[in-house]
Amino acid sequence: MEFTPNQMMAVALARLVEDGKAYIVGTGLPLVGATLAKNTHAPNARLIFETALFEGSPPEVPTSVSDLRVNYGATVLWPQYRYFGFQSIYAARGLIAGGFLGGAQIDPYGNLNSTSIGSYFSPETRLSGSGGANGIATYCDTFIIMKHEKRRFAEKIDYVTSIGWGDGPGGRSKAGLDPSKGPRAVVTEMGVMRFDGKSKRMYIAEYFPGRSPQEIQNSTGFFIDGSRAFESEPPSADVLDVLLNQVDPMRLMI
Amino acid sequence: MTQGCLKVMTAGQAISRFLQDGDCIAMGGFVTNRRPYVFAREIVRQGKRGLYLEGGPSAGDMDMLIGAGCVSVMIASYVANSGYTQVCRRFRHAVETGAILFDDYSLDVQTIAYHGAALGLPYVPVKNMLGSDLCNLWGISEEERAKRPKLPQKKFVIREDPFNPESLLCLIPTPKIDVALVHAQIASPDGTFRIAGPQFQDLDIAIAAKHTLVSCEELVPDDEIRKNPELNTCTGLCVDAVVHAPYGAHPTQCFGKYDYDSSFLTEYDRASRTQGEFDQFVCKYVTRLKTHEEYLSFLGENRLSNLRIDEEYGFRRGLKRK
Repeated sequence: MEFTPNQMMAVALARLVEDGKAYIVGTGLPLVGATLAKNTHAPNARLIFETALFEGSPPEVPTSVSDLRVNYGATVLWPQYRYFGFQSIYAARGLIAGGFLGGAQIDPYGNLNSTSIGSYFSPETRLSGSGGANGIATYCDTFIIMKHEKRRFAEKIDYVTSIGWGDGPGGRSKAGLDPSKGPRAVVTEMGVMRFDGKSKRMYIAEYFPGRSPQEIQNSTGFFIDGSRAFESEPPSADVLDVLLNQVDPMRLMI
Repeated sequence: MTQGCLKVMTAGQAISRFLQDGDCIAMGGFVTNRRPYVFAREIVRQGKRGLYLEGGPSAGDMDMLIGAGCVSVMIASYVANSGYTQVCRRFRHAVETGAILFDDYSLDVQTIAYHGAALGLPYVPVKNMLGSDLCNLWGISEEERAKRPKLPQKKFVIREDPFNPESLLCLIPTPKIDVALVHAQIASPDGTFRIAGPQFQDLDIAIAAKHTLVSCEELVPDDEIRKNPELNTCTGLCVDAVVHAPYGAHPTQCFGKYDYDSSFLTEYDRASRTQGEFDQFVCKYVTRLKTHEEYLSFLGENRLSNLRIDEEYGFRRGLKRK
């Protein structure tokens, strides 16, 4: 069975989604992964968007969280401030299973940069900025999507847009945030990384078929423990069929 | 607030009457959905200068104002034509070269700051931004802010929660918006307007701003819009100008009416790479065309009617998007 790295990523993201639970999703691969999950093992997963548009089932891939396609099958189209309260209250009550985030740089503790490369005050590259990411990282467990490159997986990142585990154990409490929430997984084109319960540092949980822990270490700018790593199951033919022919037939994202 | 039917005017009249150089402006909609482009194009035509943009979920319209030299300060959390331009290019260039003063918040913080402004509150206490560089680095320093009375004089203040001393809070000042620009599906001459579908931050900025200018797909009589007040979004007491502008949100979407214009957004993505190509684009679609009506006839009925949504889906099914 042939599949591209992006398609494997979408499948890995879908596997993080559990049936019946609520997730905050952005556009791009997370939405493709979540839509794939809804069309396979998790038909009752609920998708929440930072625009306060809730629980839609987009029949075509939306290009933004405000896209009209997000409204299809939705329960409410709330004014945007309602998302703010819902996010903080219902994440604390454990009713939001997680939020999906992307970034340009990540450190070993899952702190994320989506703001600027180089000095914040005279950036080499200005990136998109926080959008809703900072709020999601403040209140919720998170799943992070990254390109796996040495310069992106850095011991020290140029700007912390969205806090992960802060500077390690106790880091979130020090910042005034709920220490029980934080980054849970990082999905790249090479595999799935998770965070050690004690040290809060990133380790390799899974490597995708055709990859290896060594290859992941070579593409990571800090030491990353590979002793617990195992090879991921390749996507089944059925799941790939749903992904390619139903979820994103126009290949907008995959 | 202006009297009764005297509020109906062209976008040109509304901008020249209510928007001054140096004003703080906020715009409705969300990235590629229901952005008030008819007003953005008019601001460019009139060559307004020194504007301070309260961005929120901002996009190509604000990028166009930056590229056209209308802007000196911006506070935003995101500037993108999502799906077409991930970081708007004139914005990016202006920040990288220091051509505008810029500061970052997170989107939900700006959302709640606009809501706080609409509630008449001086600040809102949040947990957001704590532990991140949004709470360490000020894109616009206190000294720079002191020179600009329209800006909040501090980006934030961190305090213990007085009711729960163990807990830290980030206090965010609410902005003082001079002019809010909003595109609605329906409005009436007294300024009452009705947004169908997602409201985003529009009602908050419309209530908070000193002047609110509304463009609408349909202009209906006052007694008509009052037959269903339960569907209305905002009283005309908050509104100064009503502009009848079908397709006023083009090239972005408008719930119940039309989808985004993908080829336009793609053309803008390419053109905004350099100042020279951007200038040509703005000449072609904005300055050369004197009114909204000229803009629409230049685009042509065929192009616009191809964007009409399919009622059953709420968007244009199978729209070419790449």
